[in-house]
Parts: sequence; C-alpha cells; structure tokens
Amino acid sequence: MRRAAIPALAGALAVLLTACSPGLTIFSNYRSLENLELVRTVTADTAREGVHVTICSTAGEKSDARMYGRVGPSIGVALGELIHLPLGREAILSHTENLLIGEAYVKEGLAQCLDYMERFSEMRLDTGILIVRGGTAKDLVEGLTGGETPAPDAIAGLGRIAARIGRGYFFTCRQIAASLAENGCALAMSVRGEKADKLFEDRGELDIEPAGFAVLRPGEDPVFLSDEETWGALMLLGLFRSRNVDLPVGDTVLTVSVDKAGASYTPRFDGQGLAGVDIALTAQANVICMEGDGDLKDPAYREKAEKALEEALRQAAGAALDRSRVLQVDFLDLAGIVRRKAPLKFEGVADKWGEIFPELPLTVTVKAELTRTFDIVDPPAVSKGEEAKSPWEKLTDSLRDS
Amino acid sequence: MIKNKQPEVSQEAPVTAAAMEAVFSDCYDFESRELNIGGNPGNTVRLCFIDGLVSGSDVAEQVIRPLTDPGRFGANVRGEQAAAMLLGGSVYVYTSKCRRKLGEAVEDLLNGFCALIFDSQGEAVTFEVKSQQRRSVDAPKEEKVVKGAKDAFVETLKVNTTLVRRKLRNPHLKIREFTLGERARSAVALVYIDGFTNPDLVAEAGRRISAIRAEGVLTSAVIEENIVDNYRSPFPQTISTERSDKFCLNILEGRVGILADGLPLGFLAPGTFSQFMKVPEDHSGHFLVASALTILRYLSAVLTLLAPAFYVAVAMYHQEMIPTRLMQSMIESRSSVPFPTAAEVILMLLAFELLQEAGIRLPSPIGETVSIIGALIVGQSAVEARVVSPVVVVVIALAGIAGYTMPNQDMGSALRLCRFLLVLAAIFLGMFGVATGCAILVYHLAGLESYGVPYMSPFAGSEGRHLSRALLRRSMAVKRDREPELHTGRGGEAKL
Repeated sequence: MRRAAIPALAGALAVLLTACSPGLTIFSNYRSLENLELVRTVTADTAREGVHVTICSTAGEKSDARMYGRVGPSIGVALGELIHLPLGREAILSHTENLLIGEAYVKEGLAQCLDYMERFSEMRLDTGILIVRGGTAKDLVEGLTGGETPAPDAIAGLGRIAARIGRGYFFTCRQIAASLAENGCALAMSVRGEKADKLFEDRGELDIEPAGFAVLRPGEDPVFLSDEETWGALMLLGLFRSRNVDLPVGDTVLTVSVDKAGASYTPRFDGQGLAGVDIALTAQANVICMEGDGDLKDPAYREKAEKALEEALRQAAGAALDRSRVLQVDFLDLAGIVRRKAPLKFEGVADKWGEIFPELPLTVTVKAELTRTFDIVDPPAVSKGEEAKSPWEKLTDSLRDS
Repeated sequence: MIKNKQPEVSQEAPVTAAAMEAVFSDCYDFESRELNIGGNPGNTVRLCFIDGLVSGSDVAEQVIRPLTDPGRFGANVRGEQAAAMLLGGSVYVYTSKCRRKLGEAVEDLLNGFCALIFDSQGEAVTFEVKSQQRRSVDAPKEEKVVKGAKDAFVETLKVNTTLVRRKLRNPHLKIREFTLGERARSAVALVYIDGFTNPDLVAEAGRRISAIRAEGVLTSAVIEENIVDNYRSPFPQTISTERSDKFCLNILEGRVGILADGLPLGFLAPGTFSQFMKVPEDHSGHFLVASALTILRYLSAVLTLLAPAFYVAVAMYHQEMIPTRLMQSMIESRSSVPFPTAAEVILMLLAFELLQEAGIRLPSPIGETVSIIGALIVGQSAVEARVVSPVVVVVIALAGIAGYTMPNQDMGSALRLCRFLLVLAAIFLGMFGVATGCAILVYHLAGLESYGVPYMSPFAGSEGRHLSRALLRRSMAVKRDREPELHTGRGGEAKL
C-alpha cells in the first residue's frame, strides 16, 4: 500500500509543482525587498481627467517620506501606474494604512475607491478611510510632509489618539463598505489640516486634527457632524473611550474625565408596531481639575456635579440622534439595533423604517457616576500644617492608642 | 605483492597447541608457553593466551602457581586427571570451561580467557582472567546530567550490563547475548524484562540483531541502520543514549535495550518521535516545569525547522505578511546587502553549519572558542561589512539555537537537513513550497513505524487519546499510565 502511495504522491506533486510553478515562482511574484517602497498613505482627489492619486511611501525606517502622484480615469488605473517608481523601484500597497479622500471627491469617488480596495487583493480591508474636510487630501499630506514626523506616522498617531480624546474613530474600509451595504449610509472620520504651531518643530507646515464624523451616502456629498454630535455618536455606537468635559457646578467649574460611557437600547412595541426606543446611557467619570471652591466630599455638591455630567451626556447623545433624524439617515444603525433586539417584530416595520425613523419617539435616560479622587480622606494639599505621617506611623499610633 | 592469507580454522577440529599456534600465527600479542604440571618436567601442558586481553598477574597467581605446585598436582597426575582437577577447582579462577573444539577455544581466548591445552587428549581447559584495563565509569559527556545518575556507559559490555543490573535488581531482567560480525566477533546484548516487555517485540529485536551481517560492530550505525524499519529516513528510530539511567527508565517502560561491546552507548527500541523530545531530567524535576520544558522543545523543533524557510518565503514573495515597522527595518537593512535574500540565507546556514562542524571536530577548549568567535565576531563583522542583513543573522541564529535544544543529536541533525530542504522549497515556491514541504514531511513521519509502533504516536495512530502524555508529565504521585503502543504485560508477572 505504502509502496504504491509514495510514487503516486511524488507524481501528483510533480504535476502540481509543474502546474503551479509559472504562477508562483520567482518568475512572477518575486519582489526584491531592497527595491520596495512601502506605501503607507494613499490620497484620492477629484481631477478634471478623473482622479488624482498620490502615494506617500518610505523606503526604510530612516528614509524620508516621498510622494508620487498620478492622474488617471480611475483610482485603479492611477495606482497601477504609480506602482512602477523611478530607478527600478516598486511601490508595495499591502501596508497602506490610510486612504485619504478629498471632500470634493467623496460624491463621485467613494464607491469606486471601496470597490477597488475590496477587489485588489494586495490592499487590506482594514485600511482606514479618512475624509479631508475643507481641502484636498494631497495638500494635507504634502503639508504634513517635510517635518521630522512622516505624514503616515502623523496620521497613524491621530488614529491612535482620536478615540482616546473622544473626538473620532478610524473606521476601516470593511466597516464603511458593510455599513453602506446594510444601511445605505456610513460614518467616516474626517480630518483637516491646521497651521502647525511653531513650537512643534518636528512638524511640517500643517498639522492634522480631527474634524468630526462625516456621514457618507452613495452619490451624495458628505455631511459633517459637529464635535458634540461626534461625541454623542461615539457613545451611542459603543466606540467611546475617553473625553474630558468641563462641568459648571454652581460657582465652580469641574473638569472630569469620562472614562466609560455606553448605551443600551430597549425597543418598545405596541399594537400599532414600534412605539419607541428607550436609550439608557451609563457613564463613569473622575475629577481631574476644579476651578473654584467646591467641596467634593459634600454629597450635595457631588450630586450636583453628577447631574451636570448627566445633562452634558444627554445633550451630546440627543444632538447626534436629532441630527440623524433631521438628515433622515440612520447612521447610528438604530434599525440594526431594533432588529437584533426583536427580530420577529422588526419584520413588520422593516419596510417602512424610512418613514418611521424620523418620527420615532426616542427616550434618553442617563446615569452618570463620579468615582475616585474625592474619596481621598486626607489629600496631601490639605494637611493644614500638621506633620505628615506615613501610613505605618498612623497604624502604630492607632495601635498605641487602643 | 602481498598475498592475504586467512588461516583456515576448522571449528570442529580437536584443540591442539599446533593448531592454536597456526590460528594465531603472525599475532605478536599471542603468547604460548609450556608448563610442567606439579613441577614435573615430563608432564607438560601448553598455556596460551592473548597478551593485553588477560591480566598477567591473574594468570601467574591464579593459574600458573597452583598448576606447578607439586603439593597440589602430584607426579602421577597426568592428562585427563589433571584436566578434571583443573575443572574441579584446583586453580583459583571462578570461570573455567572444558573445550574440545578448536573454534570454541579460540573464541574463549579472544574473550580474555587463557587456555591450558592438553595435546594428548585434543582438549583445553580455559579460564577467565580478563584484563581489568578499561575506562572507568564516568559522568556522561554528551548528555549532560543536572539532577540524576552520573554513571554513563563505557566500552566494556560487562560493565554496562552491570550498571543496568544494579539499577534493575530483578531476576526477570534478561540479558541475551549475540555474537556479531564475521571477523570482529563483537558481543551484543539484548536487554528486556521477561513477562513485562512485549514478547513479540523481544522476538523481533532478537531476529533483527541476528540478521545483522557486518564485519564487526565497531560503530553505532552498524546496529542502528540494521535494526530500524526504514534505514533511508534521516529521522532516528532507535533511541541511543550513554546514560544508564535513561536506558533503564526505558526498559521499565517496556522497550528493549541493546548493548554492544566496544560502544559506550545503549540503544532502545522502538523509538518514537515523542521519545526524542524527552530527557531523563523530565523525571527529576517538578512535573509542571518538566511539562513546560517539553512543550518548549516541541516549539523549538518547529522554530528550527521553519524559521529560515518562513523568512525566505515571506521576504521574497509574501511581503504583505510582514508588519509595517519590521518591513521598514528589513528594507533598510537589505538595501546595502549585495546578495539576494535566497543567497544570503543559504550562505548563513552554511556558515552556521561550518562553525558547528569546526566546533565539534576541534578539541573541546578550542572548539568552544571557535564557536564563540564565529558567533560573535564573524556574525557581527558580517553585519557591519554589510555582507548579510541583521534580520537574517537573527533568524538563522534563532533557528540554530532552537536546534540545540533537541535532546537527541540525531533528531537535531535530521531537522537541520529538513531545514535546508524547506529553505530550498521556499526559495522556489514561497509559502506554497513551505506548505508542500511540511506536508511531505508529515506524510513521511506519519508513515514511519518502529517495531510496529507508529513513529508519530501518540499524535497519530492512537486516536489522540494519549496526546497529553507526549506533551505533559503527570506527577509521580499519580499512577503512571503505560504506553499502550508497547503492549507491556499487565498482570505484574515480572514483579518479585
């Protein structure tokens, strides 16, 4: 049995290798590592002939970022021509981290960009898509290039920090494409270039900063959400990480860091169908700064502070919900949430969701809690001249007393 | 022209001094002298022995002195009567044999006996007076012992069997002797526990040892390559060890052991892949630590086998698999290297093998120096001179170091060989080549058998039920499972 199997395996292997070799061997797929330029950022802007595409690449860790641009009838054609760089170098697109699309190009080019990224196997589906607000993507990246921090690193840095400061979230190509397919709309993070502060010498001419979410719809210009609406959307979508909020409490201003905030949804149905959705927001925050003379150990003051925080959260969430309904675009995916909560009942309202959604009664309840900081019984700053004692000394004193 | 002339020895011929001298003609270490029995000049016997194999003082004190003592052997004691007295204990040697066939007497002489030949009767009385000049039992040189017995096998079979017997004080421990080699006539012993070790395994091992056709058993390959199922496979199928404790441990697990005179090694069969990943220290250390180290060894085997091939495939064909930061670093380091990735890796692998070979062949202190110089200075210089990129040095060094964790040198060598082949497959076919190479390797390993036991058991061939046994060691406080593939006796027949 084994004697027969070995020649059979060898034969099958020979056939397999012969058949696959032309497609797999050094004659086609081989790329010399030293000749590669790593593309990390791609931009797409509208142009008279179609699309203007630029790539921002680096040849190594220490080399400066280089930009190459090409105009083509489509992003695929332009990128295909850009791959072959001067001096025999080759651009590799598999490490593209972000695709920046100019605001003007979104209307006509978004679908094309997504289609290209989904079909071209070298591009990753988790490439972030950013909309450049109030300018072209090329100008933004060019403005970023020139400082010590390469443009791709500056963009990647923003991606890491945007969610942590509660000002945005880097949605990937896959998430945007899925949302467009499912809801007919999607959120994407928008960015804008600001003149770089001269204090930051490692920057180029521009610095990049978040500019709220952009609501994308096929064939339409993007609609940009305000900062508060973006914050509210982050909480309602469960993407919130952290944000500092100033709260007016009486005569004082309390700055708190909201570290946890999430929403839970409860759809209400009656005989007529969907009667509304109850949205319960819960949040936790801790005090990081106080202006004025407030007593954090006073329960009444603390309660006031928590009420102020709840109000701020309610406003943010309400703003996002209102904008969604005004635009008549369900970018918060309420339909999906109701469907997941009550799939059978949702079937009855699925067809007329577009009509129901703008008038749907939404109740937002908020429960916020301030934790930490004020629980410190003896803060170092209020020792009032007494000699500070270590915990060990306090323990021995108390034992002696007892 | 020198004509090779083989003395013709008739095995069945009567034992005479002339015949014996004819057999050992042109042998300068062969000694023959006439002795007077009881000091009587008219009553002589011929003493023959091979100098060096026997202890001269023992011959003089235990044989010649009592034999020539007139008080012990009177003037009338002759021929047949003298032989009977010798066999009856008139000399002080604990082993004596009466030989009437020349072949038997010659065999005895070659085994450290001396012979008193009675020409008139055509017979000889032989006495065991072996020389004690042998290497003393010492700590193992190749298989380091951290926490365990430090008596390693030596080149003398009797000493080795004694080491085993001391550890396994059981009358059911059988040591069956075979004489192998047309010319060298080497002694080989088959060790097993009667009533416990699978009798089919014992019979098969005996059959294979008997079937060995060789001039002599002077190297381990003579035994290993003759008793394994598939001698073409580079993977070891018998466990060879210089440690007597490991040898005994495996005998207790139901394997058969083979010891050969002249080789400071013991061989154990059947050998399975999982056995080559274990060291005796696993039974000395804490079971959790031992289990973790066993898993680490398996990971090392994968690393040493696949790391260079994986690097080649990824660097040449599948750059999208490399994280961005690493990719940038690789492009940076590769940009100044004149050789393509494939040549660079092959070059480094060869350099690594050269260093290793040089380290082994040179005397110990110099060998270590060469390894250190090679690793540190040559590697560093090669990177600084931009002959190779640092990433390749790291990958090859990592693969090499992982290979050193293999408890068995033969297994390590087999993996090194496969590593080269996988690198070649990766060069030509990328990840597809690596996957194909691995598939062929698994096919080969899964098809191997050692004495009816699947080589990859318990990973294959035992329905995976005892998978944990290969990776984990249970506490000694818990009753140990026997290996089902070895079909050991269940009734405790071998217990005393």
